[in-house]
Amino acid sequence: MLTCDQYHMPTSLADALALWQDAPEGTRLVAGATDILPWAREGRAGNVHLPAMIDLSRVPELDGYTVEDGRIRLGANVVYQQFLTDEKLRALLPCMPYCSIWFADDQIREQATLAGNIVNASPAADGTPPMLALNGELEIARLEDGDISHRTIAITDFIKGPGSTDLQPGEIVTAVICDTLEGYGGSFQKVGQRRSLVISSVCAVACVKLNEDDGTVADIRLALGGISPVPLRLTKTEQMLTGKRLTREMIVEAARQPADLVASRTRREYRRVVVRGFVEAAIEDALADCGAAVPNTDTRETANV
Amino acid sequence: MSEQTPTDLQLEFQINGRNMKRRAKPHQRLLDFIRDDLALTGAKEGCGAGECGTCSVFVDGKLVKSCLMPVAKANGTKIETIEGLTGWGGDLTPVQKAFHKTGASQCGYCIPGMVMAATSALRENPKADIEEIKERLGGNICRCTGYTKIFEAVEMARDVLSGEASATVLEADGPGKSYIGNNVRRLDAPSKVSGRLRYAGDMVMPGMLHMQVLRSPHAHALIKSIDTSAAENLPGVACVITSDDVPGEDGFGVFVHDQPIMARGRVRYVGEAIAAVTADDVLTAAHAVSLIKVEYEPVAAVFDAEEAMQNGAPVVHDYAPDNIVKHIPIRKGDLEQGFAEADLVVEQTYETQAVEHAYLEPEAGIAYVDHDDVVTVVSPSQNITHHRHMLAKIIDRPINKVRFIMSPVGGGFGGKEDMIYQGMLALAAMKTGAPVRLVYTREESIISTAKRHPARITYKMGLKNDGRITAVSFRMICDGGAYGLSTEGVMRKAAILSCGPYNVPNLEIDVYGVYTHNTPSGAFRTFGAMQSQFATESHMDICAEKLGLDPFEIRRINMMHDGAVTHTQQTLGSVSMGRVLDAAEKACRWDTGPVGMRGQERSDLGGDDTRPPCTLGARFRKTGDDDRQEVA
Repeated sequence: MLTCDQYHMPTSLADALALWQDAPEGTRLVAGATDILPWAREGRAGNVHLPAMIDLSRVPELDGYTVEDGRIRLGANVVYQQFLTDEKLRALLPCMPYCSIWFADDQIREQATLAGNIVNASPAADGTPPMLALNGELEIARLEDGDISHRTIAITDFIKGPGSTDLQPGEIVTAVICDTLEGYGGSFQKVGQRRSLVISSVCAVACVKLNEDDGTVADIRLALGGISPVPLRLTKTEQMLTGKRLTREMIVEAARQPADLVASRTRREYRRVVVRGFVEAAIEDALADCGAAVPNTDTRETANV
Repeated sequence: MSEQTPTDLQLEFQINGRNMKRRAKPHQRLLDFIRDDLALTGAKEGCGAGECGTCSVFVDGKLVKSCLMPVAKANGTKIETIEGLTGWGGDLTPVQKAFHKTGASQCGYCIPGMVMAATSALRENPKADIEEIKERLGGNICRCTGYTKIFEAVEMARDVLSGEASATVLEADGPGKSYIGNNVRRLDAPSKVSGRLRYAGDMVMPGMLHMQVLRSPHAHALIKSIDTSAAENLPGVACVITSDDVPGEDGFGVFVHDQPIMARGRVRYVGEAIAAVTADDVLTAAHAVSLIKVEYEPVAAVFDAEEAMQNGAPVVHDYAPDNIVKHIPIRKGDLEQGFAEADLVVEQTYETQAVEHAYLEPEAGIAYVDHDDVVTVVSPSQNITHHRHMLAKIIDRPINKVRFIMSPVGGGFGGKEDMIYQGMLALAAMKTGAPVRLVYTREESIISTAKRHPARITYKMGLKNDGRITAVSFRMICDGGAYGLSTEGVMRKAAILSCGPYNVPNLEIDVYGVYTHNTPSGAFRTFGAMQSQFATESHMDICAEKLGLDPFEIRRINMMHDGAVTHTQQTLGSVSMGRVLDAAEKACRWDTGPVGMRGQERSDLGGDDTRPPCTLGARFRKTGDDDRQEVA
């Protein structure tokens, strides 16, 4: 059971930062709280007593999103359900509805935030691979001589390993900033032991845009989660496919390489097989999502994963 | 515990249309607050970890899991619980009526959460199709229905709400000339779909105390000493009980009374109760449990049933030095001759694993001693009369001074047949004179209660080339775990049903239930038959393939007919096996293919009567999308 002496709900970023800076040792920041409550149970952390919890969900500076120059700033309070219900977000981030529908369930998506998912730095986080594919950064705030100062850091640099990040004492993640990919097709693949509410064994994301004149690949983004200590962007595979007219053979070939990246300690062979099928399926589903013709799928590896 | 005093929260909110101002503890979850402080017990705690959805409520119009929401987050919001859908005494909503009509509520424990999820689904999209309904109910678990009746109810409610169907479809169908063959609504469904039914964990009594249990971290250890003094001295603690507090003959079990109320001198499995604390609140009781000092001396343990049967294996109970709980032998005909007549002998070993019942309602109970000194236990026991007789001996009271009241069972499936915790409650009520309640966490339920018996079955079958069985040797070894519970009965049924509905002229059956230091095994739907049938039917398929027979054919050749005598000498007046096989063959659209295989057509797949794979993204799928993004 999780217990605490103080539960704070600051209503401005300045208050939140001040509370956090002066918080007693062991204080935790809380966003949706959907991870911390199950964590403090028998079999995981057991009974946990915290001196204080600082809940960020009422900090207005963390709400909503803004779009500028092909980038979107998603406030740290943006919850997963918004990627399903907000039509503008669906258009700007075409892979996120698919990622979101695989994430937990309707109830938890109303509470759980993308920022919180990334900060937890789980190797299996569903939200991190899409953000790698979209060149994601985190906006981080801290107090400096009483004033709020910000820094940004690429998510690839922020996540150091399972549960380990670059967040410094006194810092609060205020936003996730990433590319907008309007007009791209998006997709997300995930496998776990149950459809809803399951931690990914493997997940894969793809975003694709084709040149209108000749149907060649104008841009493709691919990333994988669950196969190594930190999620991976598949830069080599992306380079291999950019500028090409995609054929069945090419997709199969592209899907072959990433299997070698599987570095999980458990179920390695299984994950290698899944990765191959998932990269293939992710590319094809993203093509279908942007209305492109999909190469013959009769021989597809993941007809029914 | 921290030295700092927790700072209470001041909350203002609206719940079910009523404005409220309350104080709350900083650590409370919304679920604790609405159940314990506001006495709205329609929302249940099935898992406490966001997995099961029984705690779903609306906060500012959005459905959330209240076990994952710190109560502070509800400050200033509008909360709607299942009680708010109708208001007390109000008419059921169309969703609730549809659940009543289709029989969607069985044990009922998941149902308030299901009704809330269904209500949310239809509020979010009144035209939601079946795929979207399934997706939107994905965060809720039911263990009784298989979901079909629940989905049927949501579709019915959708059609009524949109005017596509008349509200009369929600009304009861007449029984016609007979109740048989007609749908009859359950009498108890309105109490379940409205959240009004109180399970044991929902019940409160004035002056009620709360119990928490200290459990063994060892599979097998001697208890050298238990020091409860620090726990007893903690303010708020009413009593600590151990096996020393048992006044009578300590021991319970469905067949052999080998299990003490709490460990007596020795623990035999991880999770076994050692002591229990009763205090003013759960937190104090839990804190006191952490102050109990137990000195253990771990000793050799055995975790495999076959190993436990070997000479020199650690002995689990002194009364059974061979670790055998029960051996059921059955002999018929001449086994040697049967195998000698066979053209083919096939031998295989089959294994099944432990399975948790995972009823949505974790164990809970409340006990008190009434004005006439009657020790009373209210719990979802599946076996109250037997429990009553056992408890009378254990607490050394005449039978008329022991009473068991069966609370609604939020799913049992056999897992609530054992008197695992009722004895502790009775002892604490007797010691304190106050009502005492214990509510298990999901983790506690999984670690400490009975499982399905893991089995290892060695099957040897002799057959003629034409498929006739000439002999069977069937040896089944079941892991009974640390205590007997229902093992004897489970072994008996496994043995009786071992060779299935097939004529076997010569057989030798040996079924063993064996003690180990694993979690005890007990009753679970089918009571041993599942394990033996898994082996028998798998073996029939393997033999059919070896003989070049169709799997239906080998079964028809060997099946019992009217008037058959079973292996345990019971004459069967009528045997429906032939009709069952015909129906199964037709229903699965079986194509006879090459030896032991299905045909190429696979016309069994994708028909109207099959359940298609669940899709994802139904709510934003563009029209014309093919079946991409689907999962099996």
